[in-house]
Amino acid sequence: MATVQLSEAEKVYVLHGIRDDLRVDGRSCEDYRHMEIETDVVSNTDGSAKVTLGHTAVLVGIKAEMGKPRPAQPAEGYLEFFVDCSANATPEFEGRGGEELGTELTNTLYRVFNNKRSVDLASLCISPGEHCWLLYVDVLLLQCDGNLYDGISIAIKAALFNTKLPKVLISEGEEGGTEIELSDDPYDSVRLSVDNVPCIVTLCKVGPRHVVDATLQEKACSVASLIMAVTPAGTCTCMRKVGGGSLDPESFFEMTEAGRRVGRALHGPLMALLSQEEALGQKRQKVGFLG
Amino acid sequence: MPTDTKRIRGPEVSQSLSRFICKPETTLPSDGTRADGRNRDQVDVRPVFVRCGLVSQAKGSAYIEAGNTKLICCVYGPKETERKDETDMKCGRLFADMRFAPFSCPERGSWIQGSQEKDLSLMVLESLQPAVCLHKYPRSQIDVNVMVLENNGSALAHAITCASLALADAGIEMYDLVLGCSIRQDGASYLIDPTFLEESGSYWASGENQGSLTVSFLPSLNQISGLQSDGEMGEGTLTAGVRTCIEGCYKLYPVIQQALVKAVRGAAPPPSES
Amino acid sequence: MAGLELLSDQGYRLDGRKATELRKVQARMGVFAQADGSAYIEQGNTKALAVVYGPHEMRGSRSRTLHDRAVINCQYSMATFSTAERKRRPHGDRKSTEMSLHLKQTFEAAVMTQLYPRSQIDIYVKVLQADGGNYSVCVNAATLAVIDAGIPMRDYVCACTVGFVDETPLADLCFAEESGGGSSLALALLPRGGQIALLQMDARLHQDHLEALMEAAMTACKGVSKVLDEVVRQHLQEVSVLTGE
Repeated sequence: MATVQLSEAEKVYVLHGIRDDLRVDGRSCEDYRHMEIETDVVSNTDGSAKVTLGHTAVLVGIKAEMGKPRPAQPAEGYLEFFVDCSANATPEFEGRGGEELGTELTNTLYRVFNNKRSVDLASLCISPGEHCWLLYVDVLLLQCDGNLYDGISIAIKAALFNTKLPKVLISEGEEGGTEIELSDDPYDSVRLSVDNVPCIVTLCKVGPRHVVDATLQEKACSVASLIMAVTPAGTCTCMRKVGGGSLDPESFFEMTEAGRRVGRALHGPLMALLSQEEALGQKRQKVGFLG
Repeated sequence: MPTDTKRIRGPEVSQSLSRFICKPETTLPSDGTRADGRNRDQVDVRPVFVRCGLVSQAKGSAYIEAGNTKLICCVYGPKETERKDETDMKCGRLFADMRFAPFSCPERGSWIQGSQEKDLSLMVLESLQPAVCLHKYPRSQIDVNVMVLENNGSALAHAITCASLALADAGIEMYDLVLGCSIRQDGASYLIDPTFLEESGSYWASGENQGSLTVSFLPSLNQISGLQSDGEMGEGTLTAGVRTCIEGCYKLYPVIQQALVKAVRGAAPPPSES
Repeated sequence: MAGLELLSDQGYRLDGRKATELRKVQARMGVFAQADGSAYIEQGNTKALAVVYGPHEMRGSRSRTLHDRAVINCQYSMATFSTAERKRRPHGDRKSTEMSLHLKQTFEAAVMTQLYPRSQIDIYVKVLQADGGNYSVCVNAATLAVIDAGIPMRDYVCACTVGFVDETPLADLCFAEESGGGSSLALALLPRGGQIALLQMDARLHQDHLEALMEAAMTACKGVSKVLDEVVRQHLQEVSVLTGE
């Protein structure tokens, strides 16, 4: 269900609740819903994570391939994003129905990572101008219950955290060229630094106030929302207004302030959780979809 | 699009010639002046030339030229919705489509709409939507087509301005005009209405607060109707940037108003005294 | 057989199974709250999700409406990261269109469509990780999802892929065995009546061996059906405890 239909009475109910800082599910305006994160759920990827946020379920798989660096940035690897809005989420996405939303989400993800510091791309370079790691970040949308952006960005951060690239040995080949050797030991791997990977915070303007992590009902009441990608340092790597409405400059400034606050607060517990899961190591019982 | 499959085509991977040309200066000059004589850190938008009603076949059209950025926009409709199953009984639908002409950029583009163009189209649509009285056009659709003829920076911002002008020229009821303005943040200073070279001066250069920002604004209602940023910027820089963009929009406002008044006068000459 | 030895002299397969042994099957019903029915299944390393929407009014063109029974609409897709080499498109290629058609045929045989005239039942399956027997795993997942949606079926549909190596039928092939040459056969069975919902084989096999292979496939399907039955019973027990009955 990508969208829901609400009657006027329901809208008024939601609106009045939010005005009094009490939402339909009992949260206050800046609270997230219950979130579950599990990494390493698909074993034939280099990194994967599954995130559920309310009923929204997202699965991200990262596959690393060796490629040629882009001519403009010979000493850097790069990321490719793809969002698959599968028919699992809603029958509307069957066939090519999900492509429009998929392209929109993909384009936003490219923007979010279009800066120097989000991911250390230089560390993905193997030999400048010739070989680099190319990370395919594939997002699979399994269920939509509002706030896709936040769920996806958290899942991407968790999957990047989980990504293990095999160590590469570069040696001189017999004919003068370089030879590249991948380490056979699966534990001999390199991790990516995710310290600066931003998380997206979506703020929905509902009536006079704004809420984070809006459900579909709340989204149906909102005229416009603001997407902000916030790094742990508090800088913003992408911002855009979505939806058919407009925003007053003053309320816009309030929203960016709130978005930054919420975004910064999100990173700490997320990283703690991820390292806690990592610390369990091999003993961790994998739940996946069976739990 | 038909393609010639018989002909032997070039190698699959090819690189543009421009990569091999020694670029004079890739970094932006950091002193006060810019290449075209404008100043940094000043709300110094390029002078614009606007004209309405150039395309006689379209319901409304507009042409805008800011420096060397040239765009043309046509509006068709309101007309019956093409996809009958999506007909909305209460509210009209707006469709926006923005394309770059293949010759508009230094490197030849494709005729097929790429994902970047789709992204920009969406941005144009979302910026215009709050301004159009869509409830006045139930069960109908309005098409906005923007073609960038020459891209010398800030194409999105000018596309939004041009599209709102074309909508007004088409006689579509609107709450307000929509004006677009963009800045390129370069460290502590900003460049308003950047040219292509200033825009593409990479964010990958070291230093903080490298990014760009486009704001679309409804001047008489004082509302932000669209906003898009990328690159990494601190919150203070971002809010200051938004304020600058709004200021830039106000600078454009009288010019656009004048063009519109002129177009209306031209279309319906005042009744003569006799 | 070039390269890999699929069946050792002692009668063990690559992953240590006996010839007739199935992979470990783990499944869960009711994975998603929004769909009418959903299920997740892991058969060895092959993992698939199935979601069922419906029965509901016909979506899209009304011309496809059938006046005496429901239309079954299937879509098979694979996650781009599900295979060893990344896939460019999750669905829409020839292989997945064919798979969608097979699933549709299978479930048209099993679901009691005549109970829902002029309506539509959507079955969407997604392979999250592919390690052989994709079709069969998807059928098994979809069966559970249809049961979860409460849509009446004649029987469980259980599917299994069987291969034929060294004169021995191998049950429930994994990816290495599937791609290692030899002929394989996919069978979807309604176990109680022993009716065949779908049978597919696209390699050469001597006629004399067909019967043995079919026999092995049927046994394997019946094995799967036992596991599925257990999953359904367990799920119902859990649900009835929760609802306090």
